Amino acid sequence: MPANKKYLTKSPFDRFLKITAGFIGGYAVMISFHHLFGYYFAPKYVVITAGVTGYILWCILLLLAFLAEKAWKIWLWYILLTVLFSSPILLNL
Amino acid sequence: MNLRRYNIYFHTHTISGIFICALLFVIFFAGSYSFFKKDITAWQSGSTSRGKEDLKFNYVKLIDSLDQKYNMQGRDLSIYFQEQSLNTYVDMSVTKDSTLLPKKKKVEIKKKERGGGRGRRREGDAQYFKYHVTKGADTSSYDKSYDMGEFLYRLHFLAQLNAVPVHLGAPFGYLLAGIVAFLFLFALITGLLLHWDKIVSNFFVFRPWSKAKTVWTDSHTALGIIGFPYQFIYALSGVILIFNTAIIAPFNYLYYKDKPGGVYKDLDYTDSREYQYGYSKINKQVNISAYVEHTRKLWHDGFIQRVMIKNYGDTAMHIVIEGSANKRDNFSGTGRIIYNIQHNKVVYHKSPLTDITYIDRIKSLIYRLHFGNYGGYGLKIVYFILGMMGCVVIISGILIWLVGRDKNTIPAHKRKFNFWLANIFIAACMTMFPITSLTFIAVKVHAASTRDFIYHFYFYGWLLLSIFYVIRKNLKTTTRETIFCGSILSLLIPVLNGIYSGNWIWKTYASGATDILIFDLFSATIGALGLYSFYKIQQRDQKEG
Repeated sequence: MPANKKYLTKSPFDRFLKITAGFIGGYAVMISFHHLFGYYFAPKYVVITAGVTGYILWCILLLLAFLAEKAWKIWLWYILLTVLFSSPILLNL
Repeated sequence: MNLRRYNIYFHTHTISGIFICALLFVIFFAGSYSFFKKDITAWQSGSTSRGKEDLKFNYVKLIDSLDQKYNMQGRDLSIYFQEQSLNTYVDMSVTKDSTLLPKKKKVEIKKKERGGGRGRRREGDAQYFKYHVTKGADTSSYDKSYDMGEFLYRLHFLAQLNAVPVHLGAPFGYLLAGIVAFLFLFALITGLLLHWDKIVSNFFVFRPWSKAKTVWTDSHTALGIIGFPYQFIYALSGVILIFNTAIIAPFNYLYYKDKPGGVYKDLDYTDSREYQYGYSKINKQVNISAYVEHTRKLWHDGFIQRVMIKNYGDTAMHIVIEGSANKRDNFSGTGRIIYNIQHNKVVYHKSPLTDITYIDRIKSLIYRLHFGNYGGYGLKIVYFILGMMGCVVIISGILIWLVGRDKNTIPAHKRKFNFWLANIFIAACMTMFPITSLTFIAVKVHAASTRDFIYHFYFYGWLLLSIFYVIRKNLKTTTRETIFCGSILSLLIPVLNGIYSGNWIWKTYASGATDILIFDLFSATIGALGLYSFYKIQQRDQKEG
């Protein structure tokens, strides 16, 4: 039996928003989040660790985008998180 | 359980699964055979590497022959060794001595001759070839020494698809393999969450003798859950190995703005040391083996992976030796030592026994877990079985997908589409078994098998077989006949190896050629198991009428 359609995103536009939020937004959140650690640890250690944890985190963020109730909200969340995590760069610290 | 979440897991699992299933099957199938890559190479060439582990690489012979042909003065030479194999790869650069460089025109013609194919572009008269420790370079070019081990290994990361002229930041095949690996990771996580509540209860509900549909469903979940840790490791290490630029590139930009490429140096992927050419000949005999032997002793019988000679015959000549610790001493140590030849001293030394960095640990963890090279054959066999379980999970997933949608409530045109999709996927996946076995036989019968021969035989044969089964439109016959044919052909592999190269099982057993023997026994076992499952399927069909 296929999944019950009642619970799935119906509008193609919303679905597009969710997919892009998961892939692109999730990627931005993942990179900016890992980048923060570079202020404390040596960058090379962050990069090699991010190779492992990064893909898992990206995957989870992709899934979270699909689980979101509202597509625009998840985009907003991911943009906010990326801005928050990259605030040191934006503030030129 | 939250119904909404359950259905979202279900749907995303289905979509990502059906999207990648055919390519993932190819990756799993070819990858599982690749555990035996070196054995396949020994098997195909008919020359074992066993009992010859103590053979020393003859640097003098190699360099002399290259010197006669190309003049080694001022060149860099790299020799890559493989564990438990007598095959090495040799990479020779163009000379750095500008007084010895040929005129421009000549260089460009050579460039054209060599273009394309492997995606490795060589300048001028630079050479890259396979070199056998005992037989030397009689297999002189990469194309001629290409074998089934190499073919299946490269197929498992879709390297052959790099020929597709679409370039999105990475060669097409690698990009596709990376995307498949990432979606596989996603499908694994959603699959686990989907079955989370029923893991314990369903684990004991394996009903192989009931209706066909429950067999697929049960085997999909049961084998999926049992193999989960293994498949998770493969999805993750696979995406890292093939597609790590997705992570490295942005960090290279963020952290290393001022020093381009710095990340690769920091992670030890490239050695950016410059060895300035001296333009004066060195006036002493250089005994390369002595340096290599000295290093091997220094590293307590570690494995020497790469020997690089920089600026051959110049006063600025250096020898760089890279290797890893003996597996018994250390799981993750990698070392590098650099000798200056003129002054006969060590310029740099990182021991694989004591100087192990965090980066070494992560890299070797990923690498060793993916290649399964931290144990012996026992481990490889377990890995192979788990890999084949992955193939079963993929096939049963396609069948569940189809049967779940084969209802009267679904419009006819959709059902037709679903059937054709499943029909094509199953045909393409299942025919891989017979065509792989058949190609193993073909390379034995047709002794002079080059890369082109393997490509044509395998890909056209695969296409023809797939079309044949797609046209017949019967999933049951497809699976049954491919299993039957593949098994018979697998059983024939050791026989034909005996007939065509004289390496009968009892002979290789007696002479201790375990690498050749292992592959023959392995094929025979696969054939026997395949026939057994074919017999079981037949039996059930008779029962169900």
